[in-house]
Amino acid sequence: MSFDLALILDSIPKMLMGIGLTFQLLFLSAALGLTLAVILLLMRISGRWYLSAPTMVYIYIFRGTPILVQIFIIYYGLPQLEFIRDSIFWPILREPFGCAVLALSLNTGAYVSEILRGGVLGVDRGLKEAGAALGLSARDRFIHITSPIAIRLALPAYSNDFISLMKSTALASTITLLDMMGIARTIVAETYAPYEIFISLAVIYLILTWIIQRSFGWLEKRMSRHVRQ
Amino acid sequence: MDALTGWWDDFFWGSVVVAEVFVTALILTVLLGLIGAAAKLSKNRVAKSIASGYTIVFRGTPEILVLLLFYFGSAIALTNIAQIFDPEIKFIDIPPFWAGSIAISLIVGSYATETFRGAFLGVDPGQIEAARALGLSNFKTFVYVRIPAMWRLALPPFGNHMLSLIKDTALISIIGLNETLFAAEQAIGNTGKPFTMYIVVGLIYLGFSTIITLSVMVLEKYANQHLEVGR
Amino acid sequence: MKKLLTLFVAAVAILASGVIQPVKAETLRVGMECTYAPFNFRNEAGDLDGYDVDVAKGVASIIGAELEFVCQKWDGMIPALLANKFDLIIASMSITDSRLEKMDFSQPYRISVGRLVGKKSADMNLFDDMGAPIAANFDGVKVGLERASTYASWFEAKLPDADVIYYDSSESLYLDLVNGRTDVIMTNPMKAFLKFLSKDDGAGYEFVSPQIDERKYFGIGVGIGLRKGNDALKDRLNIALKTLTDDGSLGTYAHKYFPFAIHNEQWTPVE
Repeated sequence: MSFDLALILDSIPKMLMGIGLTFQLLFLSAALGLTLAVILLLMRISGRWYLSAPTMVYIYIFRGTPILVQIFIIYYGLPQLEFIRDSIFWPILREPFGCAVLALSLNTGAYVSEILRGGVLGVDRGLKEAGAALGLSARDRFIHITSPIAIRLALPAYSNDFISLMKSTALASTITLLDMMGIARTIVAETYAPYEIFISLAVIYLILTWIIQRSFGWLEKRMSRHVRQ
Repeated sequence: MDALTGWWDDFFWGSVVVAEVFVTALILTVLLGLIGAAAKLSKNRVAKSIASGYTIVFRGTPEILVLLLFYFGSAIALTNIAQIFDPEIKFIDIPPFWAGSIAISLIVGSYATETFRGAFLGVDPGQIEAARALGLSNFKTFVYVRIPAMWRLALPPFGNHMLSLIKDTALISIIGLNETLFAAEQAIGNTGKPFTMYIVVGLIYLGFSTIITLSVMVLEKYANQHLEVGR
Repeated sequence: MKKLLTLFVAAVAILASGVIQPVKAETLRVGMECTYAPFNFRNEAGDLDGYDVDVAKGVASIIGAELEFVCQKWDGMIPALLANKFDLIIASMSITDSRLEKMDFSQPYRISVGRLVGKKSADMNLFDDMGAPIAANFDGVKVGLERASTYASWFEAKLPDADVIYYDSSESLYLDLVNGRTDVIMTNPMKAFLKFLSKDDGAGYEFVSPQIDERKYFGIGVGIGLRKGNDALKDRLNIALKTLTDDGSLGTYAHKYFPFAIHNEQWTPVE
């Protein structure tokens, strides 16, 4: 089993060229997904069945199917429908980047809304009652009392989802995008050296994960500094 | 809709393969999770660091990368190892079914390790003391006291791990396993209807997820029944 | 406790015996894409079918070996062969010099050519009368190619500045051409004609280049791939292929799908 060091050193810069795309996919999908998650959360806890029921169905569908299938349906499947190609969304759906971001956002939105809901449910009832006793409206209670605490509670689970999202960006390589994974597969196809290339790529992803975990750890510490341990 | 005629049996057999991979991977995942959690909680430094390394590596690497690496790399590694013992062996190959099942078990197993570890820490220390008082060995305590108690706590997050397992089976199509997604791609090559075929695959997986979620709900009820004091 | 332990050991043993399958000599495992109609694909009955499959079966019956087919995505085909995932590649793989550096090939059993397909109305004028590509006219044209294919190598060498999108399979290649994500694709003209241009989906499309068969990129044809160091097997394959050519079998296989034979009538040796 030969280990071609020269090949690794030559390939790593090439793969790192894809890191820009990886980050674009990651941060854009995370931002859009978070926005979607908040909307879904508000619908879910609104107490009105015509808002919470569709939300639950949406979450059920997106958490119950593989993300790879979701990506394929959006990229390869939607163009089969005539009205999609004529619609105003076509410029976005035409591009693999648009499709990847759409699929990842819809998926992470479903997961994060449940994570946020867990955070909201974890807020001490006493605090909410105190807010009511002080005369705060439901809306004010939610914004000023529930949200900050819910966010802090949800942070660990959210950091896990963020890392999952980063790992899912590698699936964009299956719809022609040349992110780090896509470039790696191209190099492997040309050099027939899967072992070296894929191990180096794994190391790169591990470094990224480590950076993300440290960042979230720092964030959690900051948000919890007032909490007596 | 009639594009699907002739393909129903391919999807059916693909689903059977998905179920087979799921069951295999589930067994392996539970084993890995238990061993990993035990290693992390033990006093043994070596075991602890191996387990830590395991969780770090498999939680931080994309699943598709682990699959591809395992598929290509394992055959080379195993053949080299086997040839030390018996130079007559031309090669040892791991078929996609096993390469895929083992790969996704390793991945979800790393998450299960953390889940089980947390659950083990949640076991009432009083129960452990009682077991000691009764003279049970470490191993017996582990199997008869810790695991049943921990299982109740681990069940809800483990349900999520099971969902991850079933969804990761879709990725194994990339290394050539003849399951539902692969069947869909061949159907598309023949009929040119990607939307129809991928929706079918989605529905199949949705069906599997539903079954798993319902099973977990039943299991949770069963695991908690001794706690339902008369209300 | 002992019972549990023995059960555990038994379970592991059963699992292990399923995992490790040291294979003895005369079953030949054949790697192919399985989604490349009409050369190797799965038909509605669920069986593998196609020109490559027929050639494989024909060769196997002559040399007296059992066959086992393994499906593999194209861009991992050669790495998989080198990693011992299978013994032969019978997947319409062209015999090119760059591939010969890493592996061996049998004699060719099919000619290897490429051609560009694009929209009829587009009037892109990409090639001149001599059959050479006009680089300037490729500006703004999106080209679809299969990763690790001979078409990709040819394109990268001739038109390195072109806007290229790489695909994992030929099916996705055609899908995206119809969806308008690419303007032209370069691929096998036999398949293009049979599966696309002569069907409804391909009604608005046509060949937009002459047939390209530059030996440097397309080699002398399509052959059976195998790992280096298996000369005995290679000789047996060549004898079998010669038999199939001489007795007209290759022609019969081709006529199942095409109105013409697709193998090289003259026997050209691999250097």
